[in-house]
Amino acid sequence: MKCVPQISAYVIASVMAFLINSCSVQPCYEDTDPMMNTVLLASGTGESAKADSLRVRGVSPTDTIEFVDARSVTSCSLPLDPASDLSLFYITVNGIHDTAVIYYTRLPHLVSPECGYTFLSNITGVTTTHNIIDTLIIENSKVDLNGEKNLHLFF
Amino acid sequence: MAKRTCISFFSLLLLIAGSSAVVAQDTVTVPLHLRAGFDISGPLLKFVNKELVSYGILTSVDVTEAITLNAGMRYSSFHSVRHSYDFTSRGMSIVTGAEYNFLKANVSEGKYYAGLGLRYGLSLYSEEAPVIRYTNMWGEGVSSIPLSRHAGHFVEITPGFRTELFPGVTIGWNLYMRLLISAGAGNDLKPVWMPGYGPATKGMATAAEYYISFSIPYKRKKVIIMPKAEDDEEEEGDVSSTTNSPGTSSGFGGRL
Repeated sequence: MKCVPQISAYVIASVMAFLINSCSVQPCYEDTDPMMNTVLLASGTGESAKADSLRVRGVSPTDTIEFVDARSVTSCSLPLDPASDLSLFYITVNGIHDTAVIYYTRLPHLVSPECGYTFLSNITGVTTTHNIIDTLIIENSKVDLNGEKNLHLFF
Repeated sequence: MAKRTCISFFSLLLLIAGSSAVVAQDTVTVPLHLRAGFDISGPLLKFVNKELVSYGILTSVDVTEAITLNAGMRYSSFHSVRHSYDFTSRGMSIVTGAEYNFLKANVSEGKYYAGLGLRYGLSLYSEEAPVIRYTNMWGEGVSSIPLSRHAGHFVEITPGFRTELFPGVTIGWNLYMRLLISAGAGNDLKPVWMPGYGPATKGMATAAEYYISFSIPYKRKKVIIMPKAEDDEEEEGDVSSTTNSPGTSSGFGGRL
């Protein structure tokens, strides 16, 4: 019975270690930003098209934020504003400007206890000007963390 | 608490060690009990984990010398403040099921339990995230998820031990391996903590409970203990087998 205090100490230490470990804050390793993935397609043929230059800016009530500024691109990924039910984008393809508005509903989603919440979106509608953009079609309305294609942009 | 844990644990060890000296009997009379008790680990753990408050009660009734039906109720309140969100959940959980005592009746004597339980659990809870802080390419912002009520379901497997501290009072502990059936809140709003279950973002959760209960014997039952004679006869036919005294029993026979 001399071992009783030692075993008790061991058991208590193990339980405390387990509890402290389970209570400690763990880092977040997961992707928490859902992106609206847009594919560029050639109007008429529907085949993949490469834009010589693509610039996309998001317009918020207080600021204009540049999301994409690239050359020789066939697709782009854009975040939707989690603070609003619509996002306004200035899209410049090969130097020609258009404006697109994306309408959506937002759904909070728990990524994990470590990473917290993000907002998934379900696209309900799109409108666009037609200076270079022919049509903007919703391919998959769910903007989530799976990285699937959401919009087809014909130009 | 450590002292009581030791009493419980070592009483079981002594029970196991001493059982080899128990003389086999044809029948034993075992008291069947009604028990009502409460979890003492929940309130104590609040000193370690300040996010969780948990109070539980557990009742049980011996149906036979080996099978016990039990039911429990637990109130849990969980509040967590993380860097990107605050989360609160609270609610009642109810568990009901049965447990099987692996100790033979002549060893358990209605006082000791070493067995396995299986329970179904229902959690009626509310959850909310009053503050969600986010940062993305659009900038920073704050949002929230309003209070919503849900019903979650789970099953739990509970290996455990119980011993009579003194007549009418038993102490024991259970480990819990819980399997989530449904959190009831959909895939997007799984609760960070589901009362009665734990982190509902995981399909399996583990926990432990240390409890004290008060018991009342409500019936005495005669249990026939199968003598070891038949086994010994078979063993006698095996020349190479070790010889055991026919008057001794391992105490755990076919159950453990």
